[in-house]
Amino acid sequence: MAREATLATPLARPLLSRRAREILSGYLYLLPVVVALGATVLVPILSAIGMSLYNNVLIKPQDYRFIGLGNYARLLHDDVFWLSLANSFYWVFGSVSLQFVGGFAAALLLHQTFRGRAVVRTLTLLPWIIPGVVVALIWEYLYQPNYGALNDLLARAGLMTDKVAWLSNPSLAMPAVIATNVWRGVPFFAIMLLAGLQAIPDELYEAARVDGAGVLERFWHITLPMLRPIIVVATATRIIWTFNYADLIFVMTSGGPANATQITSTYTLLQAYSNLDFGYAATLSVVLLLIMLGFTISYLRVTRGVEPVA
Amino acid sequence: MDERWCLSRRQILKGMAAAGALTAAELAWWEEPLIAPRRAWGAVPVRFQFSVPEPKRTALVESLAQRFNQSQKDFEVKVEFVPQAQARQKLITSIAAGTPPDVAQVWDNWVGEFDGMNAVEDLTGKVKDWPGYKDVLPLAWETVTVKKRVLSFPWVVTNDGVYWRTDRAKEYGAKPPKDDWTFDDFLAWAKTMTKPDKNQYGFGMRGQGTWAVLYATEFMYANGAQVLGKDGKVAINSPEAAEALDWYLDLFRKHKVCPPSVPTDGWRGIVEGFGRGVTNSYIHNSGSSEEQKDFVKAENFSTVPLPFGPAKKRVSFYFSETLTPFKAGKAREGGFKFMAWAMEPEPHFMYSKTLGLLPARKSVAERPEFTKDPALAGFIKSFPFSIVSPYLAYAGWGGKLDSEGVPLFQQALVGKLSSKEFLEKFAEVLAKNMS
Repeated sequence: MAREATLATPLARPLLSRRAREILSGYLYLLPVVVALGATVLVPILSAIGMSLYNNVLIKPQDYRFIGLGNYARLLHDDVFWLSLANSFYWVFGSVSLQFVGGFAAALLLHQTFRGRAVVRTLTLLPWIIPGVVVALIWEYLYQPNYGALNDLLARAGLMTDKVAWLSNPSLAMPAVIATNVWRGVPFFAIMLLAGLQAIPDELYEAARVDGAGVLERFWHITLPMLRPIIVVATATRIIWTFNYADLIFVMTSGGPANATQITSTYTLLQAYSNLDFGYAATLSVVLLLIMLGFTISYLRVTRGVEPVA
Repeated sequence: MDERWCLSRRQILKGMAAAGALTAAELAWWEEPLIAPRRAWGAVPVRFQFSVPEPKRTALVESLAQRFNQSQKDFEVKVEFVPQAQARQKLITSIAAGTPPDVAQVWDNWVGEFDGMNAVEDLTGKVKDWPGYKDVLPLAWETVTVKKRVLSFPWVVTNDGVYWRTDRAKEYGAKPPKDDWTFDDFLAWAKTMTKPDKNQYGFGMRGQGTWAVLYATEFMYANGAQVLGKDGKVAINSPEAAEALDWYLDLFRKHKVCPPSVPTDGWRGIVEGFGRGVTNSYIHNSGSSEEQKDFVKAENFSTVPLPFGPAKKRVSFYFSETLTPFKAGKAREGGFKFMAWAMEPEPHFMYSKTLGLLPARKSVAERPEFTKDPALAGFIKSFPFSIVSPYLAYAGWGGKLDSEGVPLFQQALVGKLSSKEFLEKFAEVLAKNMS
């Protein structure tokens, strides 16, 4: 029986080069994320931009029409918008700077070794765990001028004679809501910075100590630079959150009294759900998005991003 | 872990059931259990949206719906409860989406907005054929009439009166408010009843929410002011209005007879302030009378009409809580049947009495449970001079009153604007939105 000789046939040349296939498969892995982000982020943003170009007041369906940049022109002349924008900056920078200072101090304390540290660390997280609306209700009660705990304590301590209307006085309302937000936000910074502190190698401190560096020098030349990436990310995130955060003010003062605590996010809610003016509310949202986008880009540039200092 | 402190799911469910039973037991007229036999297959579902400001209403309305469902076989009312604060937005968005409920319980000041959206149907013919038509107060029909068309059933009505503490008046030797008292008497009362050292104030003024502006407007009317002039133009910026508003705001700004929390005191703030004994009087409708019977006890408070102003006039704004059907509803016949049933004397009486609201039907309002209750006396005595709120004139004023009127009012309250400046700006807002 004659044996049939089998000839080796060369493999067909693949349609794409190995490099191209690698790149393509990489993008394929990314596809689900791109689709999910597109559907949940991009589409709503585009939809809001589209909505902002229409006169869209739900109670006046007969007046629904394309008005181009009409809502944007209206915004330029809206005194309450400019007031709420100024209030927003006060609210954001007041809240975040104090949260950062308090959180940093708490992180440094919690980094020390002492008995019951685990319990204290857990308790520190409590204000962050409680939902924002509940925090607002608790503090609204504490600030209540007639039967609230704060006035009562101050009066008993002999620090106050007349009742202080914390949330009803236009000069005190914003500091009062900021204080509540600081109470709520300190744990966020504390935990983030504590995680960063724990990642700094002890050898660096030992070496510095051997070289004669004092506490402040070690803090300035080791702790701060090593924490910089975390500080940048945590602060940027917190600023964006606080700018968009409406729950606390909405529950505690509804933006009052006399718009003293009206920030852009509560003003947007007011336009959407009280006036049912979705066109104008969408315009406010788009402008806020642009402000935050501009801020984030500049902030990351100024702080040189999250790369550690060389 | 100490097991005594662990609650099993079963225990939690039992606890919830017990809480529900306790709430149900509070409704003295309850005769039938909450769980009724299921409706026969084929009953057409009727969607009924009800907004809930407090838990008692949930059990009450569920019970009413069940009674209706048991009274006939063709329709089955299903109640959709929504928080009161979101009720208006939810209705408007559902109308815009083309899926409104068949019937909703709404305040009369929203009906004009819904009519502007072409969402409600003209019921004029149907209600005139309804046997109870003539028994309903004409003023109540007026609250639900837009452009000469009846668009809803006025379920219960409210007007404003003054709640005052009878026990404390005796204690402080204050002259009790009379039915025909004046602005001066009001101020004298509030001053006598203010004891800052005891954390007590004569008057709980409202500074937040639409009614903050409405109560102030009632005082302006007592001085001869009007929201709309005879020529149909906005006239709320008149000197009479500014004078009365100054007087009213000075209760807080100058005389200090109000608690410091006024600028942020909404409905909850004024009701709780009186209930906790911080204020000795406040203006509200009869809706908080039942609550105050629990808080300060029935024997310790009474109600009286609003005072006469310098123009020897006074008004109390009249509102109604309506049952409103929607054009796009899928069960319009069932919806009408349910509304007509809810207006029958017995369910009508039970709903009104349980909540301390005043029935729209004359035969029910004349029952001793309403006429002999001192907590309701001030409201019943106010009927002769009650008028439909002037802010119902234009649907476009509804949301603006809250979003622009109230912040402006607060600015006047805290002295950032004078009364005249506030009224000029407020008149501008009203004039811009006369649609």
